Amino acid sequence: MATTHTLLSPAELNYLHTSLSLRPPIRSDGRLPTQFRPLTAETGILQGTNGSACVTFSDGAEAIVGVKAEIERTPDSQSGDEEEKKARGDWVEISVEIPSQRDDDAATVFLGEMLREALLGDGEFAKKLRINRRFHWRLHIDILLLSPPLSYPLPLLSLTTHLALLATRLPKLKSEGDEDPMFDDDWESSVFVYPREGASEGTRPPITLLVVTVGDNVIFDPSKEELAVAETALAVSVAEVRREKPRGGMEVDSKGRELKLLSIRTIDPPSRLTPPGVPNGTATTGTEGKPAPNLSSETPVAGVWKAPLGGTKFAVVDGIIQAVLEKGGVADEVLDGLDGVELA
Amino acid sequence: MPITILAPRPAPQRPLSGPAVSGLNSDSDSEMDSDSGGVQIRSAKRRRASADEDEGDEILTPGTIITSNPQWMRGHGTYVLPNTTSITSSLAGTLTKTNKLLSVRPLRARYTPEIGDLVVGRIVEVQAKRWRVDVAASQLAVLQISAINLPGGILRKRTETDELQIRSFFAEGDLVVAEIQQLHQDGAASLHTRSLKYGKLRNGVFVSVSGTGGGSGVVRSKRQVWTLETANAGGNVGVLLGVNGYIWISKHIESDVAAEAAGINRMEESVSSKVYSSQNDDIEPATMREIARMKSVILALVEHGLKVDEDTVTRGYHEAVELGRETPDDDLYLGGEKGKRLAATLTGR
Repeated sequence: MATTHTLLSPAELNYLHTSLSLRPPIRSDGRLPTQFRPLTAETGILQGTNGSACVTFSDGAEAIVGVKAEIERTPDSQSGDEEEKKARGDWVEISVEIPSQRDDDAATVFLGEMLREALLGDGEFAKKLRINRRFHWRLHIDILLLSPPLSYPLPLLSLTTHLALLATRLPKLKSEGDEDPMFDDDWESSVFVYPREGASEGTRPPITLLVVTVGDNVIFDPSKEELAVAETALAVSVAEVRREKPRGGMEVDSKGRELKLLSIRTIDPPSRLTPPGVPNGTATTGTEGKPAPNLSSETPVAGVWKAPLGGTKFAVVDGIIQAVLEKGGVADEVLDGLDGVELA
Repeated sequence: MPITILAPRPAPQRPLSGPAVSGLNSDSDSEMDSDSGGVQIRSAKRRRASADEDEGDEILTPGTIITSNPQWMRGHGTYVLPNTTSITSSLAGTLTKTNKLLSVRPLRARYTPEIGDLVVGRIVEVQAKRWRVDVAASQLAVLQISAINLPGGILRKRTETDELQIRSFFAEGDLVVAEIQQLHQDGAASLHTRSLKYGKLRNGVFVSVSGTGGGSGVVRSKRQVWTLETANAGGNVGVLLGVNGYIWISKHIESDVAAEAAGINRMEESVSSKVYSSQNDDIEPATMREIARMKSVILALVEHGLKVDEDTVTRGYHEAVELGRETPDDDLYLGGEKGKRLAATLTGR
């Protein structure tokens, strides 16, 4: 799927590509390869929802996510396990709205599906929505990008969804067993879908990071110019898995978190569609009527932009996964940062 | 620390004054009361003081009635409803009073072209005999093929061949530096690049700070183009501030001596075919680092609402070099806390 196209001149593309291919890379805004732009995060901004969050990037991109839950009767499942699994996937509905794009646009649908895939990736999320054999919660996750899409909005939407899900609370169940569900009226006693503390075994909400590579360099949180010259763009979804702490000591490092890779999707980098640059001395002189040399000649000239060809190498994908998943790596630090956000 | 997550800032505290309407009316009331004697001077002085306080205080939205008192005159950004005397805001912005003239300064505005402005533009469309150029104005500007220097040694007429290969001069996406030659009835601008100073841009990065308004962003000044000797062996870096808020930061290339000597009359002769190539020269990593630093300085200036001109950029750059020495492994990026410190140093001198 193609990202929104940024119009850049061949000279700019070449400059950006050269500076990002250096070791260490020089990003045009001076960030380190793994450095994110500062962002502002807030939860519980919408009163009428079960959980909501708003995230603003420093470049002005802003997204709001609201999670609403409703009770739905579970259809009687006689036809075995396979059918049940499918029904559970349907319990979550994700809608993505991006200004100036139709909601049935291929790009928007792909974005929504990517977020959905990460959320349902391990098949554990739907279990949290089960009330009893006859009823379940149905979650509507509405993702709204407020600003025009400045760069590929996937990381922004994913971080906002993550925070909104962390802040989502459901009313406390009073009834028992398979009887019609009854809930506690008091919102104060409602329970988090993802309890922050305590014995909360299972997967936490996922985050999807956008990673690009230029040369051998792996670059996180690309700006739109960096995305425009990327050779590979990958959306990597990870989630933290919490395990029941083994009783009786053996606790070595309480801070260590176990990360689980949920999905990797390639995103078509816009650099492949860019026109090549014009080398010195080939500009036509008009009156002489000399035919212009073939621009698509095979030998690349230093300083002239040429769209990257070919696929992603295994070593590059491997390097990306390493950088994301390693202890103290990027995903770890991002989750640390998100843990610091106060839940309203 | 690769990620900083900040708590939302509370909305800026505004002093709770009444709406602009009541402020104006009470002012005029007090003036009518104090019709005689020396009191008038005092009240006039007080009004000026209160007007200064009001400035930047209240944000008006389009359609807000500023005052219906006929003693005020309407200025930019306002209109008078037919059959009334109500002065109404036509923009979102703050109220400015100049004696009896009321005008509204917009919070954000597009660039309004003026003849002679130096602008940086991006080609967005190629037509039969002209290019359409994005210059951050409300309409695309036009660059005629007759308004550029054609390559080819001798002074020559443009031919049909030139028109056929119009894309070999500028294609979609190319950045040009040009001057506004002419304004049309509808506010659209015509550009020209008939000087060696103008033409295609190479060897650098582009920054857009257009549409900021409120005193920040690029302002018209004496010098829009200059070269700066950078620290850390970065060599000379050229900065080009387009009046339209598009900025080009590049490695400074010594201009061709022969071309300089040719003078204005034989300028066309020296226009080599190099002018329209998009091949970058060799750029040292050190220069690239300093260009990146310059870009982050400009972004930090805009983020903190400071104006971008030769003085602020130069001082900001030297401050940034000093700041960068404190954290050698992460010395370029000026987002967040560091940018705030930079802005504080620049304003607090």
